[in-house]
Order: sequence, then structure tokens, then C-alpha cells
Amino acid sequence: MISAPLAVTLTVNGQRRQLLAEPRTQLADLLREQLNLTGTHLGCEQGVCGACTVLIDGVPQRSCISYAVDCDGAEITTIEGFDADPTMATLRQNFSAHHALQCGFCTPGMLVTARDIVLRLGEVPEARVREELSGNICRCTGYVGIVGAVCATARGCTPQESAAPIAAAALAAPAVAAPVENAAPRAAQPLKGGNSLTETIAIAAPPEQVWEAMGDLPALAACLPGAEITEVDGEAIKGRMKVALGPIKVAFAGTGTVRLDAATRSGVLRGAGRDGGTGSSAEGELGFALAPSATGTPGGTDVAITLQWRLTGALAQFGRSGLVADLVRRLAQQFAANLQARLAGEAPPAQPAPLNLFQLLWAALRARFGR
Amino acid sequence: MKPAAFDYARAATIPEAVAAMRDGARPLAGGQSLGPMLNLRLARPGKLVDIKRAEGMRGVALSASTARLGAALTHAEIEDRRVEDVTRGLLPHVARGIAYRAVRNRGTLGGSLCHADPAADWVTTMTGLGATMIAQGPAGERAIAAENFMLGAFTNALAEDEMLAAVEIPRLSPAARWGYAKINRKTGEFAMAIGLVILDGPWARVVAGAVEAPPALLPRAAAALLAGETSDLDAELAERLPHLSPADRKLRAVSLRRAIAMLSEAR
Ligand SMILES: Cc1cc2nc3c(=O)[nH]c(=O)nc-3n(C[C@H](O)[C@H](O)[C@H](O)COP(=O)(O)OP(=O)(O)OC[C@H]3O[C@@H](n4cnc5c(N)ncnc54)[C@H](O)[C@@H]3O)c2cc1C
Ligand code: FES
Ligand code: FES
Repeated sequence: MISAPLAVTLTVNGQRRQLLAEPRTQLADLLREQLNLTGTHLGCEQGVCGACTVLIDGVPQRSCISYAVDCDGAEITTIEGFDADPTMATLRQNFSAHHALQCGFCTPGMLVTARDIVLRLGEVPEARVREELSGNICRCTGYVGIVGAVCATARGCTPQESAAPIAAAALAAPAVAAPVENAAPRAAQPLKGGNSLTETIAIAAPPEQVWEAMGDLPALAACLPGAEITEVDGEAIKGRMKVALGPIKVAFAGTGTVRLDAATRSGVLRGAGRDGGTGSSAEGELGFALAPSATGTPGGTDVAITLQWRLTGALAQFGRSGLVADLVRRLAQQFAANLQARLAGEAPPAQPAPLNLFQLLWAALRARFGR
Repeated sequence: MKPAAFDYARAATIPEAVAAMRDGARPLAGGQSLGPMLNLRLARPGKLVDIKRAEGMRGVALSASTARLGAALTHAEIEDRRVEDVTRGLLPHVARGIAYRAVRNRGTLGGSLCHADPAADWVTTMTGLGATMIAQGPAGERAIAAENFMLGAFTNALAEDEMLAAVEIPRLSPAARWGYAKINRKTGEFAMAIGLVILDGPWARVVAGAVEAPPALLPRAAAALLAGETSDLDAELAERLPHLSPADRKLRAVSLRRAIAMLSEAR
């Protein structure tokens, strides 16, 4: 997809500029590439390192996660725009005197942040300066010189008056939310170290019936949205799984193998999938066993699930393993609820499709049962 | 690093934003969570609709019992008390611990709640305060209790065409006390554990936050606090957070004990 560039008007270092930018262009890229203001550095491009910090409408912000079009109408000050600024002049001298830079990569962002600290807070204890500087990473200096330079600049300064309070209106009637159900905490199995999970789901139907129901592929597929089995060949399966996690949409295409044991009503499924969009891969192993229920409805079934998985690529960079575990648990519950509804002859309730390798595996598993 | 291409529009009003969302646009507030995801190409929305400039999104309205804060107010505006504080300093304290000043200058209250990262500070804070989320959709306004707003990691209770317009926060009394302890390895990082305790006359709340799932209310610990007794925090945590390892639970217990210790500090 190509998105048409949009007109953007910015006042950059006091000069009004009319520019064109694709919506996806970050302010930092526009400053560096269209305006040649290369003093703004890019390190992490995730908001963490602070190298790209500039003033947007007078306050420091990250130019790596602020779209140029979203800044339309704003005043931008980059490190090139402080020549006449007295606070910045003192900071420059102190940075030099305190050896507060070596390679200089972090310095533009450091200076913009430091100036804000001096003006906003005035003289504050060193610990506070360190806290305020924690969003600017320097790999060279060890920070001692930078902290020293900021403290020296702030000495004797009083905080600038902050902007005016936001005017408040009168609120006639407070909102009333539906009462919170105090559901009893659900007993789950403990999570083992690393990316593995044990979960037992209780289904109010006898094991024979559950085992049999798992063989009815089309109906079971409705219990887990987003899944599609494209090929089944002996023990080998191929499938696709579309899932959404907040704004992240992933489509894993995967292959796997499945082994089932009707005598013990148990099975193991191994699979691996790849999402072309995010360049992320998932691989995992799912073991499950049906047994007469020990905890749920008498005469019901406990489905004991053990799952191990590994994510690589961008998705793994983003996700903490515990978050995937949370999704896996929620999914297990959704699956149980839907399967139960199906066994009771009700249509499964529509559910959102969370990101899950687990879904891929279950989807593949269902295909196997369908044979 | 460039995100995949998308279209962009600004909504002038909430209904305009909702209409764009019905057409599949993703709401953009401060972009401080969405931006990194787009840069990493984890998310590839076809269109973003800027909602932070829509009319009413930055409003503040006060009643005798609550404050209604527009969802697009920034963390820094709350930190600086430019938004009237009805929580005896709790909101400004929490705000100052979120990320870094440059992120706080753009990131919004509503964006953080909608993003629903289990480790996010506002998620735990609003649960502790018993706040109410004001959602706006094609059918108008809907109130959702904070406890019911976050369904799971990165999943909130809003429909695809619903947005968070405001958050209504109950006023704490002048006698109220609170403790908020965030544990992280480096200032401004997402929390590894959050302990929040609020004591206001006959009302007490104890919340374990950043538990890789929605925050957990601990009613027994709250009752013990009101009775002036010590509760078996470890046992309640083990019951409520069975999915965490003992070491991870310990971290939550430490954050809660720190928060309880803060109650006695003068404010
Ligand atoms: C380096 C760094 C460190 C951070 N550290 C912390 C931390 O320690 N603690 C913490 O709590 N947060 C932290 N954050 C996150 C920060 O608080 C973000 O501001 C916040 O999570 C998202 O707010 P936003 O306004 O930028 O939302 P956006 O990024 O614009 O949006 C986030 C998500 O919510 C949706 N959304 C936004 N507004 C609405 C709305 N009104 N209605 C419906 N949907 C909406 C968007 O579509 C998107 O999916 C950190 C961020 C960075 C970059
Ligand atoms: S490049 Fe913007 S914060 Fe690192
Ligand atoms: S001087 Fe080299 S990164 Fe700070």
C-alpha cells in the first residue's frame, strides 16, 4: 500500500516550513532527511534511549515515535536551534568542563533533556537529576560528568512557573458502571519456569463424549475463531492461524505432526509456524490428556494440557513470556466454555481471537481428530 | 526504521473518531505505545485516526464526589497537577514514575489504559481507586468499572468501534492515605511489580499490579488493614496469583509491604 504524502506545516527552529510527509514518516526522519538537521540522532526508535529528544511546542518529546503529520502546526526546536539560548550556552560550557561527552551520540538528546530539568525543576538534589536523566542512555561516559554538568548548571536556579492549570467544568451526575462481579479466583495450575504452562480445563461432559466431540471438526473449529487447516496427510498437518493482540495482527502459517492414543485419550502435537508480516516464528509442543473430572462437575472431564513454546523475531522482542502465558490461560478458558456450550447443544458464543500459538496447535489438533 | 504505510486523519469530534473506527481506523493518542509497535512492524493498521485533539478529549469536570478526566490528558499534565488532583497526591505521584518526561509529555491517560499492558501504572491505579471508564460508541456513552475494563494482556473491554472518552475518578477524603510502590530495575521502566494500598475511612483497597494479567484485588488484606491487623499476604497472593512462580509472587509481596509502609508517611 502506498499512502499519499500529506501537507505539514512546522515551525522548525523559528522558521516556518511547508513540507510533505507520508503519514508513516516519524518527525526525526523528516528533520534529518528533508531538512538536513542531523543533530537529532536515532538510536533505538522505540522511545527508550532518548537520542532523538527534541522540543515539540516547547517540551521535550521523542521524535522517533511522533509522526510528522501528527505534529502539523507545532513548533519544533532541535539541537541546532539553541544558539541564542542562555541556559543551553551554560550547559554547553559545563558539559565541556565536566567531560560530559565522549562520542557525542547521546549529547543532543541529553542537552535537550538537561535544559528541561534545569528550567522546570531548578536546583534539585543529585538523585533527582539522575532520575530525570534516566530516559537518556549514554554508552560512553558513565553519567558522572553529565550529572555533574547538569547540577552545576542548575545551581541557584529556581523552577520556572509551570503552565496554567487546565480549567475544570462542573460535572452534574457521576457515571454509574455495572457492578463488578466478584468472581471467585480461578484455581489454575502453577506455571513452570520459562515458556511452559500447565493448565487443566474442566468440561461438564464425560470423557468419552469429549473425546468423540473433538472428532467433529467443523463444529469444533467454531470454538476457536481464526483457524484454518489447509492440509492433513497422515500424521502431518498444515494450517493457518489468524490472531489479534491489541493492534498486532498476526497470521501464522504452520506445519506440525500429531500423535494420538485413543486408549489413554491423550495426545502430543508438535508444530511450528511463521508470520510473514512481523517476521516472527513460533514453535511448540502441546500435550493433553482427558480424565474423569476430579475438580469440576461430577461425571465431567478434566483436560490436562501442557504446553511449551518458543517465539522468535519481532514478536518475541515485544512480548514478555508471561503475557503469552496469560493469553494461553484465557484461551484455554474460552475453549472450555465454547466446547461445553457445543456439548450442551448451544451455539458457541462469539469470541475475539487473541494471539496464540496455542490456537494454532489446537486448530491443527482438531483437524487430526476430524479424520 | 519505518512502519508499514498507513493513512492518517485527525478527528475533530468524538463521533467523527468513532465513525473512522467503524471504517477500520485505529485510534492514535500519544503514540507512545502504538509508535514502537508500528516501528517494529508488529502492528500494521491501514489507517490511524488521531483522537487526542477531538473535542472533549482533554476536558476536566468536577463533581462533589468525582473528577472526570478526558482520556487524552497527558501523564505530564497530571504529574504537574495542571489537572486538579482529587486523590491526595496519588495520581501525580504515579504519573511521575511513568516512563520518562519526554514520553510523559505525549503519552495519555486513556492510551495507557486502552493499551492494557499488565505492567502499566494507570491500569493498577484505576483498579485501586475504583475508577469508572467512560466509553463512547455509535450508541452513545457506556460506563465500565475499571476492574472490568482490562480483560487480559493487551485486551480491553471496548468494542472495535468504541473509544475511551474519559475516566471518572472518585474523590478521596482529606483523611485518606495511600501507598504506591513500583519495583523496576531502572527508573521509568515498566514495573516488575506494583503494590497499591488505599485507606479512606471505612474503605480500603489492596491491589497487586504488574502480575502479567489484570491487577489482582486482595480483599482479605484490605479487611485486615481496616481492622488494624496483619493479614497473611503471602497466602492470599498464592491464591490469587497461582500462575506466578514463588519468586515472582515474592516480588509482589515486597511491593505491597512497601506500599503498606508508605501509609504511615506524612503527606
Ligand atoms: C520508553 C517507554 C517507557 C514506558 N514506560 C512506562 C511505564 O513505566 N509505565 C507505564 O504505565 N507506561 C509506560 N510507557 C507507556 C506510556 O505510558 C504510553 O504513553 C501509554 O502506554 C500509551 O499512551 P498513548 O497515549 O501514547 O497511546 P497510543 O500509543 O496512541 O495508543 C495505545 C493503544 O491504545 C489505543 N488507544 C489510545 N487511546 C485510545 C482511546 N481513547 N480509546 C480507545 N483506544 C485508544 C490505540 O489504538 C493503541 O492500540 C512507556 C512508553 C515508552 C515509550
Ligand atoms: S531513538 Fe528515539 S528514544 Fe531512542
Ligand atoms: S557520549 Fe557516547 S553515548 Fe554518550
